[in-house]
Amino acid sequence: MTDAALPRLAMRRKSRVSRGVGHAGWGRTIGAGVVSLIYFFPVLWIVLTAFKSHSDALAVPPKWLFTPTLENFVQVFNRAYSADGVAVDTKFDLFFFNSIFIAGTSVALALIIGTLAAFGFSRYPLKGNQTYLFIILTTRMLPAIVVIIPILIMFRVTGLAGTYVGIIMLYTAFNLPFTIWMMKSFFDELSPDVEDAARLDGSSDTKVFFKICMPQVYAGIAATAVFGLILTWNEYLFALLLTGVQTRTVPVAMAQTIGGDIGVRWGLLAAIETLFLIPVILVTFFLQNHLLRGVTFGTVKR
Amino acid sequence: MTVNALRMTGATKSYGRTVALDGLDLVVEEGRFFVIFGPSAVGKTTALRTISGLVRLDRGSVDLFGQDVTHAPIAGRGVSMVFQTFALYPHLTVYNNLAYPLREAKVASAEVDRRVKEVAAMLRISHVLNRKPTTASGGEQQRVALGRSLIQRPKLLLLDEPLTNLDAKLRHDMRAEFKRLHREFGITIVYATPDELEALSMGDEIAVMRQGKVVQVGSPDELYDRPRDVYVATKIGAPAMNIISAKRGREASTIELPFGEVSVDPRKSWAAVAADAAAGESFLLGVRPYDLKLTGSSGYSGEVRLVEPLGDLTVVDVHAGGAELKMVLPEAQAAGVRHGDRLNFAFDAAHAHLFRPRDGAALG
Repeated sequence: MTDAALPRLAMRRKSRVSRGVGHAGWGRTIGAGVVSLIYFFPVLWIVLTAFKSHSDALAVPPKWLFTPTLENFVQVFNRAYSADGVAVDTKFDLFFFNSIFIAGTSVALALIIGTLAAFGFSRYPLKGNQTYLFIILTTRMLPAIVVIIPILIMFRVTGLAGTYVGIIMLYTAFNLPFTIWMMKSFFDELSPDVEDAARLDGSSDTKVFFKICMPQVYAGIAATAVFGLILTWNEYLFALLLTGVQTRTVPVAMAQTIGGDIGVRWGLLAAIETLFLIPVILVTFFLQNHLLRGVTFGTVKR
Repeated sequence: MTVNALRMTGATKSYGRTVALDGLDLVVEEGRFFVIFGPSAVGKTTALRTISGLVRLDRGSVDLFGQDVTHAPIAGRGVSMVFQTFALYPHLTVYNNLAYPLREAKVASAEVDRRVKEVAAMLRISHVLNRKPTTASGGEQQRVALGRSLIQRPKLLLLDEPLTNLDAKLRHDMRAEFKRLHREFGITIVYATPDELEALSMGDEIAVMRQGKVVQVGSPDELYDRPRDVYVATKIGAPAMNIISAKRGREASTIELPFGEVSVDPRKSWAAVAADAAAGESFLLGVRPYDLKLTGSSGYSGEVRLVEPLGDLTVVDVHAGGAELKMVLPEAQAAGVRHGDRLNFAFDAAHAHLFRPRDGAALG
């Protein structure tokens, strides 16, 4: 470092302090950029691969410059299953619909049930409240594979296997512990005085919940929804074993495209993944302001 | 005949093993500025919450304006409350905070608008109507909370330590504001506070609470001049009354103190009690710091332990014959007083109080 640079550096340090966050300086910005790129690289590579032809996708060393093609995206929905076969409908439109419908419905159900339950746990504690909460969480302490056989048998016996109702019920049940715990922590943060003030202002308990408590935890609901959605969206094991041809979700269908007579079609897989990313990215993007407030709830003095 | 705005009889409420109210009796006449005074966790908030209907009593009754409301729902009591935390709706603008109780009461929107603007103007918060409460200052938030209560035109307004969360300057301004509003609205106010300055400066009548019970009710002067026991005597008035262990002297007309003797003034109501007591019987003698005067060379003697100048007045801690006393001296007299000085002081026994050591009850 030259002597001339020293006063400038000192000045920059000073201004950084006075201007607070958001002025971390070039060094840190570039550092953060490099780390972000390392994290983002797999996603970037998948998106690039989605636009490559089969030979470009397999090229060694990897090709950075290539002629982009939409062929893979077309093939997601319509392709031949053998080299000389006729292109047929892959039903991927149905699988995408299934993924959206099943994840969306089960997350919404878990939010409705979980939010009400969480409010109960927070505001009307039972005798042994903590024990109940703990028991609810224990369902998430086992790996899913441990319970898969009894669940499989239950689904066979009740005829729920392969139905929307079955898989939605299961995902709802699996989302509930997380939803209840998250939402309870948000409700716990609220001032009970505010609710009492509303009661004195003439509101019934139902109105207190909907008009006073709920609007204060929208950020929490958004955060919980995004986390639940991501978990459900990517779920593979239950979907593999408990959905049928009509209710198959994208992760299962994606895995089943592997194979056939030309080996793994990386371009095709990448195209499916790229499409599969879009809904979650959109949801997260629209909720991101709430998300940040949601996950930092209670850490800032109000 | 004056109507009782509030009558609580034998009000008892426990939370688990914690007794919040233990047979509380209160009578508040209509139009009064009534203060419930006591340190924290003494049951003040529970008392207010019981009056508002948020808390149901285990035993006892609550009457509002002659109606028994012990088991009545919150709605229809004509009571509103300002919380210590203000309890504003953080997701609503100030305007909607003020409008909330009216909308819940299904008041027509034009009327809501008129009343919100009227209350906002009166409380000088018109400029924050479109903002969220969290962006307003502490004093503004306080006035919004007050406005949300007043807009309902309650017959009884409950204020739960409304100034505790404000800084000293604002507290002073708001004390004046509350008194002004009380005068203008003629509304009955029940005001809970742990601050004796607030209690004395605002209350027409003060109930001193201790462990879920009312110890004494009276005007500020009554409580100051005739405290019922040591608890009230030391809670009302700042600095607190000096409580000195004392004995009846060998002669019927004297009380022995650690630093000397004092002659009992026969005019004082407790003179007879002292005269009837056996020689050597223990008492507690109470003297207000303001009643201790400096004397030239006569009187009792003590050593200065601490000097706290407070502007016009100076509080001096004196160690005399094993007793620790506080004196309040005018600035001029205290000018030369230094730590370690010896000084002479006296007090007029006519201003002293006598208490029974066993339970602290005032004698006479």
